[in-house]
Amino acid sequence: MNRIFCIAARDFLATVATKGFIIGLLITPAMIAAFTLVGPRLFGARTFKVEGDIAVVDPTGVVLPQLKAALDPQGAAARRTEEFRRALSRAPESVRKMAETSADQAMTNLLGPAPDVGLVEHPPDADLDQVKMWLRDDTEGRRRLAVVVIHRDAVNPAANSSYGAYDLYVPPRLDNRAADYIYQRVREAIVNARIASQGLNPKLIEAIAEVRRPNSITITRGEETQTVGGFNFLLPIAFTMLMFIGLMTGGQGMLTSMIEEKSSRVVEVLLSAVSPMQLMAGKLIAYMAISLLGMGIYILMGLALLSSFSLLGVFDPWLILYLFIFFIIGFLVVGSLMMAVGAAVNELSEAQSLQMPLILILITPWFLWPHISNSPNSMLSIAVSHAPPINTFGMLLRMASTQPPATWEVWLSIAIGIVSVFAALWAAAKIFRIGLLMYGKPPNFATLIRWVRAA
Amino acid sequence: MEAAIQLSGVTKTFGKVTAVDRLDLTVPRGAMYGFIGPNGAGKSTSIRMIMSILFPDSGELSVLGHRSALDAKDRIGYLPEERGVYKKMRVSAFLMYIARLKGLHDAGLRTRISEALERVGLDGVERKRCDELSKGMSQKVQLIAAIIHKPDLLILDEPFSGLDPVSMRTLRDLILEENRRGATILFSTHVMPQAEEICDHVVMIHKGRKVLDDDVREIRRQYDPRVVQLEPLDAGMDPSKLPALPEIERVEQVDHRFRILLREGADPQAVMRRLLETIPAARIELARPRLEDVFVRLVGGTS
Repeated sequence: MNRIFCIAARDFLATVATKGFIIGLLITPAMIAAFTLVGPRLFGARTFKVEGDIAVVDPTGVVLPQLKAALDPQGAAARRTEEFRRALSRAPESVRKMAETSADQAMTNLLGPAPDVGLVEHPPDADLDQVKMWLRDDTEGRRRLAVVVIHRDAVNPAANSSYGAYDLYVPPRLDNRAADYIYQRVREAIVNARIASQGLNPKLIEAIAEVRRPNSITITRGEETQTVGGFNFLLPIAFTMLMFIGLMTGGQGMLTSMIEEKSSRVVEVLLSAVSPMQLMAGKLIAYMAISLLGMGIYILMGLALLSSFSLLGVFDPWLILYLFIFFIIGFLVVGSLMMAVGAAVNELSEAQSLQMPLILILITPWFLWPHISNSPNSMLSIAVSHAPPINTFGMLLRMASTQPPATWEVWLSIAIGIVSVFAALWAAAKIFRIGLLMYGKPPNFATLIRWVRAA
Repeated sequence: MEAAIQLSGVTKTFGKVTAVDRLDLTVPRGAMYGFIGPNGAGKSTSIRMIMSILFPDSGELSVLGHRSALDAKDRIGYLPEERGVYKKMRVSAFLMYIARLKGLHDAGLRTRISEALERVGLDGVERKRCDELSKGMSQKVQLIAAIIHKPDLLILDEPFSGLDPVSMRTLRDLILEENRRGATILFSTHVMPQAEEICDHVVMIHKGRKVLDDDVREIRRQYDPRVVQLEPLDAGMDPSKLPALPEIERVEQVDHRFRILLREGADPQAVMRRLLETIPAARIELARPRLEDVFVRLVGGTS
């Protein structure tokens, strides 16, 4: 046992004490932080501003005043404040508090800068070709965004006819966000003109039509907390990603280390001191500890983030326990097979063809994730959550879904996982023992199967 | 006394190739055994089976009284033919790691490593990374790794390959020292003069089968080549000036020397006396049989 831990300690320290490991460990959270903080600035999502003029030809004479009101900076500001308030009402309390301390900045972050759109009025009988020419002549000052020609029957239709609308002329490459803004404001102006022409109060109609979305409350055993939209959606993918990263980094590290030891011929020196099984066990423990260390750091970072937003209460701590159980099962299966591949080949390039099927199997749950999340109790979801080696991913996705499986199903999957661990270790040990001292032509699958079947 | 290594009828095949064929071998404790044969003869496979790195298809073996070397690994030192080190590891860390795997405790280990490195002229390399060492230095470090735990049995597979004469001498002295300490040594090589130089006993293997297993002196006695080597004072002497003795079967000239092959039953001492009476000689000697010659004689044209 001491020898196993001696091997494990060497491999663990030889990996975690390298700059590569530390950089690799930090690079994922750094990339997430970079995308969150720098991404929007880089992509310009927050800095886009709808700015320019719209030419309007209004034969009805009643839409234009409404459009002026819709584009009025004060009205626009009130509308943005209301929009921001609604968006914020669905956010966690800590986020609300944070946003309220710097509301203007938060609003700009969420909705972008306030639009600045002016109107160029044309008489009802204006020559349309001349007006269109204005759109083409974009040489001076502000951007010319559109020409809006309101239909004569847009507000008061002829008898037995439906309402007319408007024609829109735009320059090439008009930004979608600017086009959306124009659609919304012209629509608002026409609707308000129609309501007014019927002698109705537009404010009253708006009040009648609005039903505010409630702040849903999640009831847990201990307390009631505000429901956080998207949490149930994000949790499974976060867990699956954590496990996938853990398995791939650990498995890949083990494969590389094995190939390195074999190609540098140090393996036979080791085999003079320990048995192949001790060597394999030591390496499995080392790389499992390395993966657990990485995963543990990510989990702690995630929990710290949740805690800072007062969201720890919505998180089921049992899921972490199950994550670790499934991770250990998954690691022992995938890791032992990866190590067997590493022992069987001479170079990393030779390992690619042998490990490819394993990687393809491992990424299958990623393709099935939307289905499992939406239909966790479908036949396919149940099958995936019990079929090794992907049962660990499948069951974790089901457990984090809105309709988690029964506890006995979880433990059945764990039991199947444990059996698959023994099967994988048994097969890997055979390949490992034979492959370690095999040099020359790399084995194919048929050879590996023959080694497994050999006594 | 129980043998250090005992093999009886050990066979190992790889696919259709029989690497080791019904090999019997007994290495007594404290002996210095040479395990010789050409490349591909089955030496490394036999050694790997002794080390329980490979397992025989049939036959029995015991190592230091155990049926498997796995049960006695702490008492065995092994320098494999295909050897290596962790390139990024420092020399002292590598040796400490191997020593721990061999069951040594940390107390006094650093001192022991320093002394061993000093013994082979590598003092001061403890902090160097293994990939900074030359091949000879690396090989010395590996031999230290094999003997750091003072094993009862030391198995060395081609220990001198690729070494310069000075490093070879250092390693040879270290091996002989280990033998004097009481370690049994099984030393494998395809360079037969090396075995001839340091071993008491050799086992010759060819195509997986043992062709010779005897004491070196006994081999020399048995395989006396009946060759007298003569170097005349007159470097340009004509071979016809050699006396026509009935004991001489054939004369070969190699540069300015003569290899004189005697007939079966001839007395070499008498022939040498007669030759010296006729030819003024710078040197005359009875050629010692070389293991290479013995090997060629034993396996004939099959080698």
